[in-house]
Amino acid sequence: MSESTVDDVVSAAGDGIRGRGIVKTFKARGNVLAGSTVQALRGVDFHIPPGGAASFIGESGCGKTTLGRILAGLEDYDAGTLSVNGVDLTSLSRRKRDPYFRRIQMIHQDPYSALNPTRTVDAILTDPLTLRARQTGRPKSWIAKRQREVLSLVGLEPDYVLSRYPHQLSGGMRQRVVIARALTVDPEALVADEAVSMIDVSLRLGILRLLRELRETVGVSVLFITHDVATARYIGADGDLYVIYRGQIIERGPTETIIANPVHPYTQCLLSAIPVLHGLEVPGADRLTPTEPLADTQSDAGCLFAARCPFATDRCRTERPDLAHHGDPEQLHACFYPEQRRVVAVSA
Amino acid sequence: MTAVTQPSEVDGKKVGPAVRISDLTVAYRTPAGELPAVSRINLELAPGSITGLVGESGSGKSTMALAMLNAVQKPGRITDGSIEIDGLGDVVSLAGKRLREARGGEIGYVFQAAQNSLNPLKTVGKQLLDLARSHHVEDKRALVRQAKELLSRMGLSGDRVLDSYQHELSGGMRQRVGIMLALVLNAHLLVLDEPTTALDMISQSNILSIIRDVHAERGLTTLVVTHDIGVVAEVADRVAVMYGGRLVEQGPTTEVLKDPKHPYTRGLINAIPRLTGDPEVAQPLPGRPPTLGTIPKQGCVFRERCARYAADPREDCETTDPVASEITPGRLVACHPVAAGLPVEVSVEEGR
Ligand SMILES: Nc1ncnc2c1ncn2[C@@H]1O[C@H](COP(=O)(O)OP(=O)(O)OP(=O)(O)O)[C@@H](O)[C@H]1O
Ligand SMILES: Nc1ncnc2c1ncn2[C@@H]1O[C@H](COP(=O)(O)OP(=O)(O)O)[C@@H](O)[C@H]1O
Ligand code: SF4
Ligand code: SF4
Ligand SMILES: [Mg+2]
Ligand SMILES: [Mg+2]
Repeated sequence: MSESTVDDVVSAAGDGIRGRGIVKTFKARGNVLAGSTVQALRGVDFHIPPGGAASFIGESGCGKTTLGRILAGLEDYDAGTLSVNGVDLTSLSRRKRDPYFRRIQMIHQDPYSALNPTRTVDAILTDPLTLRARQTGRPKSWIAKRQREVLSLVGLEPDYVLSRYPHQLSGGMRQRVVIARALTVDPEALVADEAVSMIDVSLRLGILRLLRELRETVGVSVLFITHDVATARYIGADGDLYVIYRGQIIERGPTETIIANPVHPYTQCLLSAIPVLHGLEVPGADRLTPTEPLADTQSDAGCLFAARCPFATDRCRTERPDLAHHGDPEQLHACFYPEQRRVVAVSA
Repeated sequence: MTAVTQPSEVDGKKVGPAVRISDLTVAYRTPAGELPAVSRINLELAPGSITGLVGESGSGKSTMALAMLNAVQKPGRITDGSIEIDGLGDVVSLAGKRLREARGGEIGYVFQAAQNSLNPLKTVGKQLLDLARSHHVEDKRALVRQAKELLSRMGLSGDRVLDSYQHELSGGMRQRVGIMLALVLNAHLLVLDEPTTALDMISQSNILSIIRDVHAERGLTTLVVTHDIGVVAEVADRVAVMYGGRLVEQGPTTEVLKDPKHPYTRGLINAIPRLTGDPEVAQPLPGRPPTLGTIPKQGCVFRERCARYAADPREDCETTDPVASEITPGRLVACHPVAAGLPVEVSVEEGR
């Protein structure tokens, strides 16, 4: 079977990307915890429709990057299934699986280290396009044309950037080059892990909007990983927001719903921690803080958040809540005592 | 060791020293000649205040922070100006032993990337003793006690942290260790460069409340350098906005956020993704921040990206670098039309 046939299968309109019960366990790093294991993902379910968006938020170490790396084929998973347009990748041989993973591209936090400093933008894009032309039986002349196309798609002026080296471009432009390079494989999905956190503040929105536009113009879906919840709204208000805590999804639903009406205390703590622009905003009336910082030593029994939750009861410390509905049928949470609280800052 | 910059008392509360930065210019030697990264900056830190210095990458924030300690490294140097600190004098003219003592002594600092600036081969406790040695602390026991007290104040176990190596601590813990090391010798002026960058929101919020509390308890004058307006909004009484090595606007934080006057400040605030309201209201700023080599030599450094200039190109914007003028008490703006009392908003559409 030639590569192009596989591509055709991947691009066939379908179900998008779906993960079911993804589990990943690492051996712990460092001397203190040597010998023990870290449950980076404890059975994560998610779905991104073709051209759709899903954002993952949560504290450091909660498993966001691990999930993104699994999706991009950079890390194996221990249990669960991962499917692309209905094809279960779990059961495929590595050789059959790779073409799918190649079309799920990772956009990293640091655009500078992602680009070879000794090569011009022209060279950076020519390599993957040459491969792509060979795979899909396109003529050489297609390469230069496509090069200009992908640059225009990411909002760069081809004549300005092609001859330049990464250090001659701003952070925002570099990240656009990284995205353009990802587009050379006609990706099914982009995994953007903190993709704007190193970009200048004045240019961030531009990159977020670009990712949103690409969902429409080329039908790519976006898995967006961030600490900064507000940026998730700019990738697509129509997308879903997943709140992950110690490897478990503890709340999920439409982005705007979760931001406006979070019911899980952990989500509420996360949203409460977002700086209030005093002068423009006033803090939400029910702002919430965890009772303790996150620690490796916190118990795995019961609700994973129990050690830090201001509302924990004895039941929480022994029994683990499953994802359940509350109000909005699209909103799921894993808490015995879901309650709406006004935690997000409101315009003054 | 006793610090020279004793906190003074205002209304029975300890407050840190006043700091007056005058006409400060710091330049780096480059193949294209010596270029200023900080240009003729004037800034006063009121005793006991927290000032937020905000700007994008390359605007000169870290260079400013280093200058506060007279610690600008070659190929850079302070070419002009002074930094007067109450009780200590002009830091720019300090040298040798006196300067080394002031750094980490009266002036506590946590440099950018403090998360990786601890010595990976030594425990935190060993590094604390190194600090004691370099600052000739007699009573090491008292110093360790003080360190543990600060750490527990910040929610950490002193014993455990002092026995730890850098890689055994999370990012948020390292930031707190940095703050401890900055304060343990009884600093009264605290300089923090990007204290929460790369932390998640909960750790950030935790560090910011620690900064606020420790600042108040110990009676400090604090300068927080950051690219994040949210951080400034949470901790700072006053904000100074930096662009292309200039301070383009300064004033009380809430006032500047509510009613920014300089076109750059307006654009920057308007570019912040927000949690509520119509997402389409926020707009990226066109163009990109300048680097040393691309800072315009003549006229206003913000001109190329300025919506106000695009809508109403004034000659002085092209010819003269605007100086900061006080438009209301405590509120300084470096922009020609603002100084002339003209409205800032001029049909923004034309500028896009
Ligand atoms: N290669 C590895 N070996 C051992 N443990 C690992 C490895 N990669 C990740 N982990 C652990 O798995 C957990 C999840 O890590 P992950 O990097 O996915 O978190 P994250 O949510 O992306 O955090 P951050 O917001 O800091 O980027 C953490 O406890 C981490 O220490
Ligand atoms: N050691 C150096 N040599 C030459 N240029 C430098 C050096 N350090 C900083 N610069 C330049 O000075 C300007 C200001 O840098 P910096 O103070 O680090 O800005 P910020 O902290 O606001 O990002 C930038 O253009 C930067 O490239
Ligand atoms: S289940 Fe209990 S401990 Fe867990 S989040 Fe809900 S209230 Fe808190
Ligand atoms: S001085 Fe002119 S160019 Fe500079 S910010 Fe003001 S209006 Fe814009
Ligand atoms: Mg990560
Ligand atoms: Mg800096």
